[in-house]
Amino acid sequence: MLKNLKTVLLKIIDLTALGFLEPYVRLCYGEEPKKQFKLIAQFSLVPIMALVLFVAVWAYLAPKHKTKSGSVPTPGQTLSAWNSIMNQHSQENMKQKAYNLTGDERLEVVAAAEARQAELVPLVEEANAGVIEAREVEAADKAERIAPLQAELDTIRDATKEEKTKRLDDIKARAEAMAEGDAAGRKQLKEDYLALDVWEEEQKDAQGDLRSSISLIQNEKSPEVTAALLLQKQRNDEKQYIDKLIEVAGEDSREVSLAETEAELKELEVAYAGAAGADVYKTLRKIVREQGSLVKTQDREYAKPWTLPMQIFRSILCVFAGFLVGVAIAVPIGVCCGLSRTFMAAMTPFIALFKPVSPIVWLLIFMIVVGGFFPDPDKSVVLEFLTDFTNAITGWLPFVGDMVNDFDINIAFIASALTVSMCSLWATMVNTALGVASVDKDHINVAKVLKLGFFSRLFKIVLPSALPLVFAGMRISLGVGWMVLIAAELLASSEGLGKFTWDQFNNGATDSFAKIVCMVFVVGTIGLFLDRIMIIFQRLVSFEGSVAAI
Amino acid sequence: MAYLELQNVSKGYGPPSNRYEVLENANLSIEKNEFVAVIGFSGSGKSTLMSLLAGLEQPDSGKVMLDGEEVTQPGPRLGIMFQNYSLLPWLSVVGNLEIAVKQVFPEMKRKERADYIQHYIDMVTLTNSEYKKPAELSGGMRQRLSLARTLAMKPDVLLLDEPLSALDAITRSVLQDEIIRIWEEDRRTVVMITNDVDEAALMADRIVPLTPGPAATLARSYPVELERPRDRTTLNFNPEFKALRNEVSGFLMEMNEDAKSLKFDADLTLPDLEPKDFRTHYTTVG
Repeated sequence: MLKNLKTVLLKIIDLTALGFLEPYVRLCYGEEPKKQFKLIAQFSLVPIMALVLFVAVWAYLAPKHKTKSGSVPTPGQTLSAWNSIMNQHSQENMKQKAYNLTGDERLEVVAAAEARQAELVPLVEEANAGVIEAREVEAADKAERIAPLQAELDTIRDATKEEKTKRLDDIKARAEAMAEGDAAGRKQLKEDYLALDVWEEEQKDAQGDLRSSISLIQNEKSPEVTAALLLQKQRNDEKQYIDKLIEVAGEDSREVSLAETEAELKELEVAYAGAAGADVYKTLRKIVREQGSLVKTQDREYAKPWTLPMQIFRSILCVFAGFLVGVAIAVPIGVCCGLSRTFMAAMTPFIALFKPVSPIVWLLIFMIVVGGFFPDPDKSVVLEFLTDFTNAITGWLPFVGDMVNDFDINIAFIASALTVSMCSLWATMVNTALGVASVDKDHINVAKVLKLGFFSRLFKIVLPSALPLVFAGMRISLGVGWMVLIAAELLASSEGLGKFTWDQFNNGATDSFAKIVCMVFVVGTIGLFLDRIMIIFQRLVSFEGSVAAI
Repeated sequence: MAYLELQNVSKGYGPPSNRYEVLENANLSIEKNEFVAVIGFSGSGKSTLMSLLAGLEQPDSGKVMLDGEEVTQPGPRLGIMFQNYSLLPWLSVVGNLEIAVKQVFPEMKRKERADYIQHYIDMVTLTNSEYKKPAELSGGMRQRLSLARTLAMKPDVLLLDEPLSALDAITRSVLQDEIIRIWEEDRRTVVMITNDVDEAALMADRIVPLTPGPAATLARSYPVELERPRDRTTLNFNPEFKALRNEVSGFLMEMNEDAKSLKFDADLTLPDLEPKDFRTHYTTVG
């Protein structure tokens, strides 16, 4: 039983290409412990140490480089930016939940939020005061450091002015007293005048240096002020959230809105029963309108903004949509290329021409082309169908369906997905062609002896034999697609990781830069998972003698 | 009239300017249910001969006839067992057999087909390895699977291209017995290529040596008139067997020497030159 578990575990490790886990499993079964420890040191410890070293170098170097958006974020700041991203996500989830709550539960949420609101008021004031204080301290410190520099600057400036007037006066006097025919005197005068210019320039440079030292000090941001601002931002953010939560769970909640509308409707019904003359029609219209809004209120959901985890799902959805379209185009064309040298010759110029084109160019083209198909996107039946279809499918997925209830397939999404297809299909196409063209001659002979028909030969011999290479190509494609997608979303403003990054770049909050750095790790980690998935598929279709997955 | 026939078959490769004739005017007649061993040195065109017999390649001149009809394309009637197994690595043992059986006997029902396949798996003693992939099988097991696939097609002619060449001595003798047993059980015409005279003498009704290439051709044949079943342990002491083995080996050696003598290998005596001594010259100058 335990032995079986070992075999299963080792098989899974082999399938997922997670070879570094193998020594742990073997160690648990007491197999050559010395060798296993060596392997663990080599394939687990060394990478961990490299990572630690990387973080240490990052932490050391990051604060050294000052930029317009503050210094480069340290690992710590990046981590807290990540926490703030996730915090925003859970707050939005809370608001959504609160909006749908009813009865005592809702009132409890409101009460708890109000209590926190009361607590927050002094905290916010404290943080505001803290910022003012830190700024004052900083200003005093700066003034102290600037004062001697300013004094020096003033002295130099005054001295220069005085000296200049003196020398100029001297030159003027000499010019007036210049005798006729005194060539040497004139020459000397000219030289002195030019020398005065040079000297003045030098003095100005010296002053300039001082001035820039002063402005450097003025522009400095002390760590105390940064910390105070961060605290202020956190508290203000929380206050904003609590205020909003009270609204959403209170007067804006579905329950309250419904109750209000129903009460109004009741009143109107009474009025309608007792109305006479022109009022009858007027009240009737009001009742109908009110009933309409009642239905709307019942269906209305909390307008949740896109948060990072939601954007991650949308990006993954987009990359798979694009990838699958790409594969659907690339594999049949690749098979034809592999089967027929003539077809391959016909396709070669297109592959050579289109493969190196930048994703940005494709995106712009697709934005325009796709836009042409949907002149009125809000009323497009196709877009609505695609949205409903996607929502229906993602609704089945355990985790995703709860988090995102409307994926909203729009032109930007389609254009981004098609850009992914266009950039990623080449690897699959070329690999498929290669795989199909290089089927083992022995296998072809088997097909000949068996007299397999064209389709039997294709589906029973050629495709299975080419599959490992096809999947190797698909793995490259998905990697390329993921890389392209972030850029495409960024430019197309399609909700997703690219848009999130772009928004951070544009909003200029204290922790925006750190959030952008977070994206490096988010995008990288997801890319890693996508690659693993493809490795597993590739291994599943591989056989002895086929290309090995790396 | 013979069942399977090569009539003045020639086959060569390469452009006319640099042509390599592999076979030239090869003639062979094989009777129905006969077991013929073709024996020859490596590189003498044995595999080309086999491809021609199987219809995988067409002769440049001459004809390959099967049962009075010219062979123009491969098919399940000519069951070839390839030298390097040619198993489909992505299919299991059953899958490899099924693809052949489904194609050759499309009318078979699922249940019937499963039994049929199982019969052949049992025949080559691959029982309990039904769902293994070729990669998980040993060399001998692969070869047996390849044999089973060929046999399952119920070919009229069984073409075995060095079926046992890649095996160790023990597996080899086991499979030799197995092939003979299968052949005796269900008689068919067999052409087997081998490079082992003992093997040929043990298994075949007739041995046909192939002269060394290029332009190989089939020489006179040696009938093997040993009683069946032949026992490998006592065969070595059988005078008839010894005589036959010596005769065939002797013929092959002779052929080989003939072939060698045809090649240009005369000793060239180098001219007896002695380097001139320049030292005296230098000393006079210096």
